[in-house]
This record gives sequence, C-alpha cells and structure tokens, in this order.
Amino acid sequence: MSVATRTINFTLNGAPVSATIAPHHTLLEVVRDTFGLNGARESCGQGLCGCCTLMVNGQSVSGCLSLAAFADGATVTTVENLAVDGKLSPLQTAFIECGAFQCGFCTSGFLLMATELLASNPKPTEGEIRNHLSGNLCRCATYPEVMRAVQLAAERMA
Amino acid sequence: MNRGNDRLENLLIPFELLEPRTLPEALSMLADDDTAVRPMGGGTALMLMMKAAVFTPRRLVSLRALAPALGGIALDERGALCLGGMATLSSLEHSALVKTHASVITRAMPQLSNVRVRHVATVGGALAHADPHMDLPTILTALDARVQIAGPGGSRELFVDALITGYYETALAGNELITGVAIDAVPGRKAAYIKCTTRAADDWPALGVALSLVCSGGHIETARVVIGAATDRPTRVPAAEAALAGALIEGTTLAAATLDRVRDAVASQVVYTSDAQGSGAYKRQLARVHVVRAITAALQA
Repeated sequence: MSVATRTINFTLNGAPVSATIAPHHTLLEVVRDTFGLNGARESCGQGLCGCCTLMVNGQSVSGCLSLAAFADGATVTTVENLAVDGKLSPLQTAFIECGAFQCGFCTSGFLLMATELLASNPKPTEGEIRNHLSGNLCRCATYPEVMRAVQLAAERMA
Repeated sequence: MNRGNDRLENLLIPFELLEPRTLPEALSMLADDDTAVRPMGGGTALMLMMKAAVFTPRRLVSLRALAPALGGIALDERGALCLGGMATLSSLEHSALVKTHASVITRAMPQLSNVRVRHVATVGGALAHADPHMDLPTILTALDARVQIAGPGGSRELFVDALITGYYETALAGNELITGVAIDAVPGRKAAYIKCTTRAADDWPALGVALSLVCSGGHIETARVVIGAATDRPTRVPAAEAALAGALIEGTTLAAATLDRVRDAVASQVVYTSDAQGSGAYKRQLARVHVVRAITAALQA
C-alpha cells in the first residue's frame, strides 16, 4: 500500500524547518532520523521513562507517543537547544558537578523536564521536583544526584 | 531545509490521518460501523494500543484542531463546572476554577500518570477510552458528572456511570464524540480520591477509591462510593452509599458501626479482578482499608 506523505513545517531549535513525513511517523523519529538530533532516545516506547522527552510549544511531551503530523506549525525544542553558543545551561553544569548521571542515556529527558520545572517554578520544593520528574527513569539510579543538581541549579539561578 | 523520510521506520502501521476543523466535519469523518475508524484526542492511550498492535486503525480523526472550541474550563449559568472534551489533564491540574469547584480533581492530578502525558491527554479521551485503570472516570462518577455527547442526530447527555458500560466499553456509538463534562454545583459536597499503586508511585493503580459526601447540619445526606481500577469499570457501591446516608459526622470520622458497614459493603458487593497490580483478594483488602481513609480525607477536605 502506498502511504500518503505530507509536508510539515515547524520551528526546530529556533530555525524554521520542513520535513516530508507519513501519518504514522512519530515526532521522535523525525527529530532523530530526519534531523540527526539524537539527544532524545526511544527507550520504553510507552511514555513512562522520559528518555524521548521533547518540548512542543513550551510543554514537555513524550516524543515516542507524539505523531509528527501534529508538529506542523509548532515550536519544537530538544536538549541540543539548552546550550547557547556552546555554553552549557546552569542546569547542565549542575548535572556535571553533581554527577547526576552514570551512563547518560536518560539525561536529556531529565534535563528538559527539570528545565521546564525551573522555568515555571524557580524555587521548587523537594516534593515538587520529585513530582515533576516522577515520569523519568534512570536505570543507574542517580536520583539523589539528580535531586541535588536541580536544587543547585535553582539556587544559582535565583 | 526539507528532508525526506527514507530513514524513518517505526512500529506503527500506516493509516489515514484526518484533522477536521469543526465538530460537524469531525462527526462526518467518523463511522458508526467500523472499529478501525477512531477519533483521537491527545492520543497517548491510542498510541500505546497501536504500538502494541492491539489497535490497527484504518483512519484516525484527530480532534486537535477542535481544542480551541472544546478545550475550555468554565462555569455555566447554573454554576456547574464545565470541562471541555479536549481540555488537557494539565489544564485541569492548574485551573483555579477546578480548584475552587472540584478540588478533588486538583488533588488527584499530580499522581495521575506523568507530566508529559497530562500535557497531552484529554478529558474526553479518558472517558471514551474507558480503560478501567484510569483515575479520572472514577472521580467523575463520584461527582455525578454529566457527559455531553455529539452525534449525527444531535446531542445527548449521559452520567459517567451510564457512559462506561464495561472493560474498555462505552455507550458511545462509533460516530459520536464527547464534547464536554459538567459537574453540578452541590452545596456541602466534599469529595476525596485515593489511589493505590503497588509498584511505582505513578504506576497504573491497583485500586482507586472515589467518594463524595453531601454534608448538611453535621450529617451526611447522600454519598457516592466508587471503586475503580480493581474492577472492569468504575463501580458504585450502593450498599456503602446507603450505610453513609444519614450518618452523624463526628469530627472527621463516623461511628465505628457505620464504618464497619461501609467496609463490609465494598468487600462483599464488588468483584475485584486479579492482574499484574495484585490479586483480587489483595485489592479487596486494600478497598476495605482505603474506603475509610477516603471518608476521613473527604471530611477533612
């Protein structure tokens, strides 16, 4: 069966882009395979682990559960957009200083979720951080270090 | 830049994707007699079913473009809280109106799935999907919420209790859509929802207990007791509701004999299903304990 393709236009990390996609393609696949942005990764494929986190119109979504067609007209940002001119964000720096990862597979998702949290809630309580990150899994179990990194970034950004 | 899609490959099987701009257009694209044609709200649940090949759509009708019209949260002229069918769970979570008029929903939201899913998942989708493990339908049943449904012949309204008829089954025809949910203003009503998860905190619940108590003059006038997740659909427990009706409120609790009757009712009048979240017998015991905690939580609300 021939699959009808369509062209979507959207803003990706600040730049206008277009892509030819089929209705069943996920946004994660397009970001990775079409645009070569490999920071977001598919792990569980069920929206539970957070490794595929992308920002669409300023809100975190699971890229593996998002159809690419719905990105038409949207603003999409990925973890690659956090550093500006090669300078890491305060949160990224805090992750490094606190050792908030081991293998690093989940890190991009944690970074985007925590960036989202701090943007709307600059002084989150420990419970608020835990709640916002509860949908992100780290199989290396660096959760205590992640908590410290988010708190450290919040202090520095205050 | 424009890139092709030659490298793309995923687990989903191709389908037709339509994005109607208006409700009548959306209704005209649905089919009463073809289960491979489905409307899609946020799509989080359908995507999971599609990836698992449990659902292989021929046509998906995305309702996203209807969100501006059907995504609102407002009070109607009679004071009922109206949630648009395309309102996201996040918009409920952060709504001042919801907090004022149905704070049980606000309190439940942070434990429901995760932030990313709540950003996308919709009220209408949660109801139409009728997955018994979803929390919102159980809560809305306890609030006697009315579901507004549009179809080719006009609109109709059903209580959530009548909408969800079984395990992933609803009274919706294939060419009907949920346009909104209304929660009537009931003076003196207090409500609580307790979710029990047996693995991760944001796992699907093994049990959900939703309860509302209409209180007046130190008494409970009427009650709703609803068991979810452990059952094939949100299930009211009339014997427990009867035990609560007329009960004298003692601080934030009730007489021990009343609580015993409620415990016995939820244990004996409900069929608890066994699954990966726990055995039926275990969930029955969870329900006995948590129904009393829910009563206390509602009276403190």
